[in-house]
Amino acid sequence: MSTMTLYVDRKSLIHDAFAPLTKLLYVMVSIAITYIYPDLLFVLSVAIFSGVVLLVGKVFRKILPILALSILLIISIIIVQGFFHPENQTELFSLGFLTFYKEGLSYAVLLTLRVMNMVMSFGILILTTKHDEFVEALIKRGLSPKIGYVLLSVLQLIPQMRATMGKITDAQKSRGMETEGSLIVRVKAFFPLIGPVVLNSLNNTRERAIALEVRGFNTRIKKTFLNVSRTYHYQGLIQFILWMALIATIVWRILS
Amino acid sequence: MSKKSMWTLKLSTAAIALIPAAIGINYLGKLFAGLLKLPLWLDSIGTVLSSMLAGPIIGALSGIINNVIYGVTVDPISTVYAVTSGAIGLAVGIMAYKGWLKNLKTVILVGLIVGFVAAIISTPLNIIFWGGQTGNVWGDAFYAFLVAKDFPVWLASFGDSIVVDVPDKVATVIISYFIYKGLPKNLISIFRGQGKIEEL
Repeated sequence: MSTMTLYVDRKSLIHDAFAPLTKLLYVMVSIAITYIYPDLLFVLSVAIFSGVVLLVGKVFRKILPILALSILLIISIIIVQGFFHPENQTELFSLGFLTFYKEGLSYAVLLTLRVMNMVMSFGILILTTKHDEFVEALIKRGLSPKIGYVLLSVLQLIPQMRATMGKITDAQKSRGMETEGSLIVRVKAFFPLIGPVVLNSLNNTRERAIALEVRGFNTRIKKTFLNVSRTYHYQGLIQFILWMALIATIVWRILS
Repeated sequence: MSKKSMWTLKLSTAAIALIPAAIGINYLGKLFAGLLKLPLWLDSIGTVLSSMLAGPIIGALSGIINNVIYGVTVDPISTVYAVTSGAIGLAVGIMAYKGWLKNLKTVILVGLIVGFVAAIISTPLNIIFWGGQTGNVWGDAFYAFLVAKDFPVWLASFGDSIVVDVPDKVATVIISYFIYKGLPKNLISIFRGQGKIEEL
């Protein structure tokens, strides 16, 4: 069954030597410290570090399309902050009546690096961790198994629904639904498209609920796991280092 | 409306199975809006519908899990807005439970409130994470206009969010309401846990 995942199956240090929860902690710490300590060089080095981790994990190329998704936000940040940042003083260049300033640019670069670091550190988690292993690790740490079910089933459901979407679009087009033209025509087309999808999925929900119930979804008995969990070494030490990095950044920020 | 409190935490299996469906509907709403080149996202129809069907808790869970899932599969940036989505589900669920969804007028009002709630919660997030912008062309143009007119950043950012969120949320709530009205009764009742036979 196809699932929606960005996981890349490779053999690498990042894939094999780091537990899912350690990677999750890295995501949180690396994002937090770039916001706690707003220094351009510091944020740049954190971002580069995330990039290097991706390189070691042999998934650096896979992050580029994900970074491209946030390119609009980044461009918008650079343009708007460069021209309109409230602390703008030093002129860099001007276009007609608009002037581009240095302060805005450096602020925009800081924000951009933070966004890129956020995407890349998430990438480490997403691209090198199997989602079922990740969810099982979370359940072992105390996440409700019901929420765990929800998380995993969404990943299977979306590709199924995407297939349904193709069918419905074709069916409605063959009945003469127009999908191009003025805004009103297109708004009108939205209902015959979304309606069957909703009905279909709610019907499936009912059936799925019965199927789950039959399999003891609501029992209070302790759940067991299908997959044997992998063992990782030195995770406690690595997580301790990450916590220390966070604390050190907070202290550094307060002192400076 | 069910006699049970809307905050009941004993979630039925049907209500939990609704969450993945809601997230799927969110996703397809966004895809269809893109396909038809509509000027809105319409990416929270599922969240709003699940709130109408199963109450604020399921609505909020759908919203939060939706953004988390979206964050780990497509676009990490959207994880930031998990709180906003949760609040949308919560707001719609409470207002639906209070019986505010009566006719088109009250539905539009609910949509406006939801839009404002979304904007109020998004604004601090936008300021903390990207200096106040949303990445939406129209919203950011409005932001630039306000900042250039010497408005404070938080107000400009709030304006940015309002321009982006309110029309989208009003449309989302209206569409969800019409879909909800069109659903067969026996489908609605399983999520409420009223009928003895249908309760799972």
